[in-house]
Amino acid sequence: MPSTLTIPWGNADWNAILPLGVVALTPLLVILADLLLPRSLRRSVVLALAALGLIYAGFLAARGWGHPYSAFGGGFVTGGFTIVFQEIVIAGALFSLLLATHLGRDDQAGGAVALLLWSASGAMLMAGAANLMTIFLGLELLSLALYCLCGLAARPSAREAALKYLILSSTASGFMLYGMALLFGATGSVQLSAFAAPAASPMLFTLGSGLFLIGFVFKLSLAPFHIWTPDVYEGAPLPVTAFMSVVTKAGALAVLARFAYAALPQANAQAILVPLWIVAALSMIVGNVGALAQTDVKRLLAYSGTAQLGYVVAALAGTTSLGLRYAIFYLVAYMFMNLGAFAVVALLSREHEEGSHLSAYAGLGYRQPVLAALMTFFLLALAGLPPTAGFTGKLLILASSVDAGYAWLAVILIVGTAISAYAYLKIVLAMYARGAGAPLQRALHPASALPWLGVAICAIATFVLTFYPLAPSDVLPLVK
Amino acid sequence: MNPYVPVGIFLGVAAVAATAFVLVPGLLARRKPNPAKSEAYECGVEPTSVVGGHFPVRFYLIAMLFVIFDVEAASFYPWAVQMHALRAYGLLEMAAFVVVLAIGYAYVWRKGGFQWR
Repeated sequence: MPSTLTIPWGNADWNAILPLGVVALTPLLVILADLLLPRSLRRSVVLALAALGLIYAGFLAARGWGHPYSAFGGGFVTGGFTIVFQEIVIAGALFSLLLATHLGRDDQAGGAVALLLWSASGAMLMAGAANLMTIFLGLELLSLALYCLCGLAARPSAREAALKYLILSSTASGFMLYGMALLFGATGSVQLSAFAAPAASPMLFTLGSGLFLIGFVFKLSLAPFHIWTPDVYEGAPLPVTAFMSVVTKAGALAVLARFAYAALPQANAQAILVPLWIVAALSMIVGNVGALAQTDVKRLLAYSGTAQLGYVVAALAGTTSLGLRYAIFYLVAYMFMNLGAFAVVALLSREHEEGSHLSAYAGLGYRQPVLAALMTFFLLALAGLPPTAGFTGKLLILASSVDAGYAWLAVILIVGTAISAYAYLKIVLAMYARGAGAPLQRALHPASALPWLGVAICAIATFVLTFYPLAPSDVLPLVK
Repeated sequence: MNPYVPVGIFLGVAAVAATAFVLVPGLLARRKPNPAKSEAYECGVEPTSVVGGHFPVRFYLIAMLFVIFDVEAASFYPWAVQMHALRAYGLLEMAAFVVVLAIGYAYVWRKGGFQWR
């Protein structure tokens, strides 16, 4: 007579991953819709289904606010921190869908949207992952779908992007796995909460967490692990680039913040964190200097993303609770101003050509005054000028990093901002310069009006967040 | 004794043995090649093409599909062994797994993944 195995988790555990489950199951409906519907309806139904699934998941996630719970034997933790990052992921995926009217051929749209959602569910898993297993599961779920999405466009640079991302990202995953193995060897546990106690072998622990961090610094494309970013961003289809620039980074940042705040033992925290602050400082300089030479807006936004994430990681310096709140605020502000710029690029795109080259912006201020004004607004926000959320966010990060005793990071942030202003204003200059060659007289022919919705929401949010810097309290990454 | 010492010894033995197996035949073996000996061994069947030749890129799709359905079959085994112990929970889990896989199967089918193009 075989004994009955008891299942070690119950309803509450399944409830904790319900939002994630909805995002992971919606693609099945998307695929079925893609198979069963006539070609003319396909793309719109697929996009609508995906958007509904994401919005529903957003509501489900928000419902859990104020009810921290440790599910699946401590593998997945819900609560303020997880929910904030999950909502950022959902919002980022929704904005990418707004731009996805151009994603792939008609018969690829269903598969592409499904992959996008699966990738988002990986990022949502990373947002709540509290042991090494779930972290790796989330990361691979996120990455595997992205490898395919990067190569979707029918141009050689897309294949280059996909292959580059596959090889480099797998290498980074290898580093990370090795780091995880060493961490397990040093502490005898895969739980992040077990790392907080002093490790039996501090040397092994430092080595392991160093390798582990390399993997995540790569995913965040912080310098000096950012080299892949411009090429991959350029080759990937525009919605996928927009998705990567927000969702991947939100997922990786969640793990990084949880690791730095909840798992590092006090005894050797400094030895591990100092390299991280150096990486943040390097990113602020390298990202902004690299942006200077770019003539393609997607490449420019890639370097800009490196620098912006440098600011976010700088806010975590000192691992104060205020720093974490400001980092989250800046991440949200970055999402809006960055995706706003991507939506403008989407509006300038045509059937077979993405409007990302600088020449597409020559004289835009006279052809499309509203669009040019909005693009200027987003670029000024990325540069951190008032009255934009970028300004408020940078001010708060400056305050918190000086307060935490990292004044040198604040100085580098200011220097980086000064350099970046030149890179962003180059595009503004192209849009408003008169007489520099006859501007191409071409009207907008976007595939749909949906990106306008994205531009509008992002512009309003970037403006409003300037005056209401909503930094949620109760977001400390509990691991129990 | 450090618990890693046996592992170290094992690694050493493995490295020495593997190196020896590769190098020693080259030093000691007598060489008397004839055409039948130099041929690639394919279970006694006459080889039809060069060994290191090219093969169509179309095989990558077949290889990928094979791995997916192979993994599927592999994950049925442990469930089948523990089916009575896992009860309805196991059955539901497996049903969910098969449904997800079936949708993938339908997708590949309809998109022409099984056609030799």
